Amino acid sequence: MAQKQSTRPGLRIIGRSELVTQPIRDRAAADLGFPISFEMIDSIDGLARVVTRPDTFDLYHQWHTVDLIWTARCIQPIDVTRLDHGQEILAAARGRSGPSRIIDTVFDKLFVQADGRLGPSPTLQLSMLPLLHGVDSFGYLPGLRDLVGGEAESWGWLLDARLQGRVAMINDPVLGMIEAALAVEATRGRAFSSIGNLTLDEVDEVADILLHRKRIGQFKGMWSSFEDSARLAQRGALIQSIFSPGVARLRSLGQEVIVGTPSEGSRGWHADLCISSEASGEVLDMAYAYLNWWQNGWAGASAARQGYYATFPARVRQHLLPGEWEYWYEGQPAPQALADPYGQTSIPAGHRREGGSHAERMSSARVWNTFMDEHTHIVHRWREFLAA
Amino acid sequence: MTSRRKGLAGLHKAYFDIVQDWVKGNIAAGLLHDGTRLTVAAVADRLELSRSPVKRGLELLTVAGHLTRDERFGYIVGNGTQAAPNAANLFALPLPDLAPATGALARTGWERILDEVAEVTAACIPFGIYTISETGIGTHFGVSRTVTREVLSRLQERGAIGKDRASHWVAGPLSARMLDDEYALRRLLEPAALVAAAAALRTQLPGMQARLAKAGPNCPPEDIDLIEADLHDTCLTYQPNRRLAAVLTHLRSGRRVNRLFATHVVQHDESALLTEHRLVLDHLALGDGEGAAAALRHHLDADHARTRERLKVLSVFEDPVVAPYLTRVG
Repeated sequence: MAQKQSTRPGLRIIGRSELVTQPIRDRAAADLGFPISFEMIDSIDGLARVVTRPDTFDLYHQWHTVDLIWTARCIQPIDVTRLDHGQEILAAARGRSGPSRIIDTVFDKLFVQADGRLGPSPTLQLSMLPLLHGVDSFGYLPGLRDLVGGEAESWGWLLDARLQGRVAMINDPVLGMIEAALAVEATRGRAFSSIGNLTLDEVDEVADILLHRKRIGQFKGMWSSFEDSARLAQRGALIQSIFSPGVARLRSLGQEVIVGTPSEGSRGWHADLCISSEASGEVLDMAYAYLNWWQNGWAGASAARQGYYATFPARVRQHLLPGEWEYWYEGQPAPQALADPYGQTSIPAGHRREGGSHAERMSSARVWNTFMDEHTHIVHRWREFLAA
Repeated sequence: MTSRRKGLAGLHKAYFDIVQDWVKGNIAAGLLHDGTRLTVAAVADRLELSRSPVKRGLELLTVAGHLTRDERFGYIVGNGTQAAPNAANLFALPLPDLAPATGALARTGWERILDEVAEVTAACIPFGIYTISETGIGTHFGVSRTVTREVLSRLQERGAIGKDRASHWVAGPLSARMLDDEYALRRLLEPAALVAAAAALRTQLPGMQARLAKAGPNCPPEDIDLIEADLHDTCLTYQPNRRLAAVLTHLRSGRRVNRLFATHVVQHDESALLTEHRLVLDHLALGDGEGAAAALRHHLDADHARTRERLKVLSVFEDPVVAPYLTRVG
């Protein structure tokens, strides 16, 4: 075992490119002093490997898969006592105050319970280290108002006949189905019992509507990365589901884009770090070093510059300019032009973030990213939609 | 898997081959003497088979020199040197029946294959959606399209497969709702069956309890299979309602999901399952059928929750190994 580890190329980490950006990867490698190989997987296609081959990675930046990967036991419990700020997590879970109040869902599956399942009661074993969270909705170009007038922002616009041919959607079935369901609720005046866990019939209802709209030319295109999404906007999509790095990219290119604050609520998400069940010895030590590095706040500050919030913002603040903190976390107008994580100016002086402060924006989370129980059926219907 | 395949090879032997083996075996055993007259009708009658495979079997035996074709008498055992063929009544001769020797043989063509296709399909659908090839089944089992269609129609009647808009046969996916429906049915039926079986079951209890006592939380999946079979299969055979037993036989998706999960993903610590089983058997040992039924309901509910979580993991698998007549489409 010891021999096997000594031949390994340091720490092997799987992540998504917009969550673990190049500046974060570079800084981690420089700060930590041991070799790290990052593998960016931007779709859900890599999940089967994570589930069945925990020997092929040491750390996994998970994104709405924690219940699934815990069931598969491809990750191991994180020992709170090995975290520099472990006590802070326990305190937040007990108190459910501060940020933990507005991101309750992060704590719901955080602790390994006595029966081996995940739950909210604090223990010394974590399923994941909570890192980042946010809410996503749609972004639109000012030209959209020429077609819909001054009416309130709504997910229903994604299916609105007035916007035919000017709508783009994310091509990920997990997130796409949630957004489509929000749009169906808004346009059809019906309420799903649990929009984060649609029943089989509800999935069919949403999929049938999507298929119909696609066949009559509703959609300009589908995107799988924030770069694609920015390109679609430049090619004429007036509205699309969008990630905040996509917004930052468009703004840094000089394209004005407005992030919707729909009355139906937004789609919340959190991204966290999990340790492979196979990591041990020296590799496990490096894994904990990487976890603690994330907790020191530098990475959270870099992520803040593209609109992401850290679970524990206090240490992030030390790495932000006062103006950055005011704009991103407090929802105040930018006192000066602000840069994105790559150093490009993306926020003009005086701009105010849509949706307000951290607490205001997170409280708009209507539904959280999740693998629904009928995942297979969703993927099947989504493929039908993509192929139509 | 290897042993299962071997078993199936015997099961799927063509009827004309079975006829040949039966005749050759009886010649070798001295039960069919040279000169014995065999007509297609008499052999088909004796073996309870249709005439065409018998005719083909006898023709092949003739080509191989075991029989001689006679225009007047049909087929004669031996090389035809006997002066007068012996027109024996095949029912009067001490010839073995086919059924005991070949198991499923007395069943018709589609029945032989139905169970296999049903099982293989059921084991695939937790992973996604599959199309089923009629030609593929025909080739795999060496059967006609008529037999294949009969098999698929029966599966359709059971609700195990269906047709898509393009009229292709499709199976799956095993949805969370199907799983919920099955557990809801089992929750109604199994406790009732257990109560009905309680008294008769007591002789079986020591064996079941011994298996449970031996099993640790990380025992191999094969042991869990046996323990689950004790509670959910054996218990049923001790109650008198055959139709109830027949219904429950088709409600095994949960067990399949758990077995696939243990085989392809990881085997969980099963101490909760073992405790649940122990509780049921303890009540039975005390002669408390109602208590056992309540404990069984608890086990089914807990199992339902576990199985739902595991099904979700199976749904992200990319290319599980399947039978040659199944193609994944979703």
